[in-house]
Amino acid sequence: MRTFGSGRWHAALAVLGLGVVLGWYWLQPGASANENATAVTAAASPAAALPGAQGPGGDPVSAAEAARREREVRASVRLERAEQVYRSYRESTRFPPESRPLEEHPDQARPFAPVEDEARLRDSTGRPVAGVRIRSTQDRVFVTGTEAARFTVEAVDDEGRPVALVVRRSFAQSVPDSKTLMTVVHADVPFADDGAGADDVAGDGRYAAQLTPATQGFAGRPGTIRLLIELVANGQQGGVAFDLVYLPEVAGAWSGAREALENGALNFYLQAQVRVAGRYVASARVQDANGVPLALLQFNDVVGPGPVEFRLPLAGLLVHEKSPAFPLRLVDVEAFLLKPDAFPDRTMMPRLAGVAHVSQRYAMESFSTQEWQSEQRDRYLAEYLRDVTRAEDELKEVTQPRR
Amino acid sequence: MQAAVSARTSSFRKRAWLAIVALLGCIAGGVYATNYTLWIHGRNGRGAIGNHLDFSYWGADTVNAGVNKRAINWDGYNRISATNGLIRDALDCYCTGTNWCYIAAHSAGDNQIGYALSLYGGTAREVKNPDASCMGTGATQTGWNIKFVSVAAGSGGGTELANYGAWAVSDPLTSDLKTSTARAMYDHNQTRSTWFYMYAGAKGTSYSALLPGQDDEVIAYHSSGGVAGSGGASYCNPADWFCNYLSLRADPNENGTTKWSYHYVSFRDDGQDYDHYTRQNWQGIASRLRADMELYAR
Repeated sequence: MRTFGSGRWHAALAVLGLGVVLGWYWLQPGASANENATAVTAAASPAAALPGAQGPGGDPVSAAEAARREREVRASVRLERAEQVYRSYRESTRFPPESRPLEEHPDQARPFAPVEDEARLRDSTGRPVAGVRIRSTQDRVFVTGTEAARFTVEAVDDEGRPVALVVRRSFAQSVPDSKTLMTVVHADVPFADDGAGADDVAGDGRYAAQLTPATQGFAGRPGTIRLLIELVANGQQGGVAFDLVYLPEVAGAWSGAREALENGALNFYLQAQVRVAGRYVASARVQDANGVPLALLQFNDVVGPGPVEFRLPLAGLLVHEKSPAFPLRLVDVEAFLLKPDAFPDRTMMPRLAGVAHVSQRYAMESFSTQEWQSEQRDRYLAEYLRDVTRAEDELKEVTQPRR
Repeated sequence: MQAAVSARTSSFRKRAWLAIVALLGCIAGGVYATNYTLWIHGRNGRGAIGNHLDFSYWGADTVNAGVNKRAINWDGYNRISATNGLIRDALDCYCTGTNWCYIAAHSAGDNQIGYALSLYGGTAREVKNPDASCMGTGATQTGWNIKFVSVAAGSGGGTELANYGAWAVSDPLTSDLKTSTARAMYDHNQTRSTWFYMYAGAKGTSYSALLPGQDDEVIAYHSSGGVAGSGGASYCNPADWFCNYLSLRADPNENGTTKWSYHYVSFRDDGQDYDHYTRQNWQGIASRLRADMELYAR
């Protein structure tokens, strides 16, 4: 692995040059102390960032010197970018792309949590209604087979206090993608606050409804379904819309899981029976015995049809760095058959919410401390390093021109 | 002695010939290491699909917009998933073998490159020659060769204009740009460790009531700044005391929320000077993007 010992002088010169320019820039009126334009931003128009045709002491500089300074700024920021990209890639790819720290995928940690939204109530023309906000949830965007989607709405004022709400009408309709004539399906989707069906608590001001496309007229019709709600909150009319993507077919069924310690990594194998051969994309989360999030594992390969295994590898080095408490738990699995160049682009496997598998206990010495090694990583590191070298040479050319 | 010299001369000639043959082979096979700058546009595409020199969406094709610039045109109308094959074909053409790419994207071009990298970025790709035919060489490699991605007005997080039906024409792409749908479509953090440099404009006026926080008139900061989460929220400039600011770089925002991994806010429009529209003249927030591609994509 490359260190930057040989390029430190260049980097120091770059920082010095950049500091002179940006120091001037930051002292201009309107600059914020903590959150200001980055060096990248300032350097995007180096000519604009340069202090005109004056030296640091206010002495005029020649046009040639001004041009040289501009080239220096540009070379400096290019070197900064090249080093950032190289260092980041080298650090990040210690683990393979399919075995990542979970904190790197913040919005994938709870894949089955409802999508939450809060926005001002809109009238029929989309204009916001003063003093009324609508909080809404939908528990999924992709609905497959006989699954149902659950929706909730409630109204609050600007301080978050509940506001009386009446759902006047709510219905779902298919959204055709094609310009060709086709039947548009409509279905009533009643919202209620009665503590029955989709609603959890009666009279709490939160209305809920459930849409089961397979039994409400959308069977066999893949595509977008839009749920439209007309409501009155605090005496003012408005509307809310939800979209979901309905996928009538199910890609297959889960049949089990196993694990194997192989080459210093803990591989989880999710077993399934898939109906169609193709590229399957799967993901699962790993928690330790105390529920501490550890990793996001992903699978993306061509398999099937028939009995298959999705291999989800937990890199040994990641285990070493996180020092989890065993046994580990594989939780919240989602998977789909990816269909290229089509909409909908996927056929889902059933959700596996909660614990799908619990590992054995392993000694830390069982795991490899090796970084990820692959042709792809070598290719990237070599190219990124060439970029650093080029940028260093370019900066050197500007700061130490050949006589 | 003479025999030894003769043998060395023969050996030298042989090596020279081999080098020449290898060089010619590289030329014939298009094996020159060349960098390209691919521009992926957003909604309402104008350029001819398949014509990689047609920059109609962006502006004059004479401007410097990065080394060996190519326009990756799609219809800007149909679904991301249904049109993404055009993007992947272009990546196969210009960003495989010894060739490397810088990617510049605007608006829904963000969704296109994000979708391609997340779902296909680790797949086996056919190495192709970067000429007009984009013919395959017979070789394959894992993923593409991408140095970095820069995005102006990225709609990877969707836009509330799609949520509320503000656009007069409801095309298939609009459904993809609803905030909940756009954010559920793919794992935005899975960029294969490739950086996305984000450029967020704030000169929005017409739709400010619809779009939360600062916006460029089409895209709010939560998307153009690459903020993670299943839905959009309000993010502003630091001067606004009543709204959390969108942080620069890859730092957490003022309220502690994070960006998608490998997303870096390169430019936040504190002066509210840049709107969404290129006006077929490299204008709006795309002007900042173009300037930086000129600077970095070499």
